[in-house]
Amino acid sequence: MASIARSSLLRQSAFAAKSLRQQSVLQNAVRTSAFHTTSRRNILPPPPQRVEGTVNDAVPVPPPSPSHGSYHWTFERLMSAGLVPLTIAPFAAGSLNPTLDAVLCAALLIHSHLGFQSVIIDYIPKKRMPNARKFFMWGLNAATAIVGLALYEFETTDVGLTETIKRVWKA
Amino acid sequence: MAALRSTSARILGASSRPATLRLAAAPAARGFAQLADGATESQKASGDPANMKTFQIYRWNPDTPTEKPRMQSYTLDLKKTGPMVLDALIRIKNELDPTLTFRRSCREGICGSCAMNINGTNTLACLCRIPAEDNAEMKIYPLPHTYVVKDLVPDLTLFYKQYKSIKPYLQRDTPSPDGKEYRQSKADRKKLDGLYECILCACCSTSCPSYWWNSEEYLGPAILLQSYRWLADSRDERKAERKAALDNSMSLYRCHTILNCTRTCPKGLNPGLAIAEIKKEMAFSG
Repeated sequence: MASIARSSLLRQSAFAAKSLRQQSVLQNAVRTSAFHTTSRRNILPPPPQRVEGTVNDAVPVPPPSPSHGSYHWTFERLMSAGLVPLTIAPFAAGSLNPTLDAVLCAALLIHSHLGFQSVIIDYIPKKRMPNARKFFMWGLNAATAIVGLALYEFETTDVGLTETIKRVWKA
Repeated sequence: MAALRSTSARILGASSRPATLRLAAAPAARGFAQLADGATESQKASGDPANMKTFQIYRWNPDTPTEKPRMQSYTLDLKKTGPMVLDALIRIKNELDPTLTFRRSCREGICGSCAMNINGTNTLACLCRIPAEDNAEMKIYPLPHTYVVKDLVPDLTLFYKQYKSIKPYLQRDTPSPDGKEYRQSKADRKKLDGLYECILCACCSTSCPSYWWNSEEYLGPAILLQSYRWLADSRDERKAERKAALDNSMSLYRCHTILNCTRTCPKGLNPGLAIAEIKKEMAFSG
């Protein structure tokens, strides 16, 4: 940092007579970059304030869609609640039968899909980045489909999830 | 580095910088020095051992929008200042710097005007004591993630627009049986305790990370608490409409039970619980 400042200083004294305006611009840039200690937040910076309608209008109420609202939330909670007995069962029984194992896999898959969906909805606002939102949502769908396919293969042609964990644990 | 910068500035100042610039910069610096001197002189006059406390306050002036926001320090003698942060702010504005801007009205925690971020916590300046024991500086910022109008004054336009969108008034079609007021049992009235006390200071909403990211669409804890206040009211007859207005992905369900709202509420209310009650009602009866 000091060397940057010194070089600009030397250049100044050397060329003080000519192109003074250019010099001061350069020097200001160096000074500014040396002074900045906080990061420049280029990822989703706050947009300029925009008031939709007048200040006395209410914010528009979105149309009701329970499949994205209350049903979705209830389904999420049921999924997470259902995972508790499904994960405890193998400890009690030693291992799961193939059907219950498949149910556990499906529940895990749906649970993580819903979780990632929430992350995308939170951090990639549809209003501000509609294209990125679409891209990530379809990416998530593709990932879930691939993982689902892989789990299906694993369950049908191999030993299954709980048995694998058991073997890895004891290995 | 500082020395280098000052010499370079001197070279540059002597050769190229217009004299007016330096003149403009000088009074500000001198003015600040005078303020500090004034404070110490008044303290000397009293003879008492002073209990000095420094307040670092966020300053930004909309008249010079290109200037970066900065922290300005003010030192006060706590022996001559009231116990609350708002007392200190008012004293700073009266005696040290009349340009300091903040909202205040009732000075007793009932109007919600003086909501600001004090030492990292959103609270009302009038309800926040100045910790007298430690000599640490107090840092005062406007409410986080708000558009700042000036200094400590946030722009709450969106907040009030959102409040309006939940129709915060009694909606009822059937007249009362005796033509007088709408009566309510004591048990029903009790359901509103902990809800009606909200003064809409926006401390909770601006402490909520979900509201930071999605304030355009998510209503935020304060507005949802108000929403529940009308859902819980036995006299209101538009519960279905009220619930339908919340039944989408953004308005209510961006709450992830972070509970910053409950921790920060200067009135000791529990917006997190109110939101959980709404979710419960929507799940089991919607």
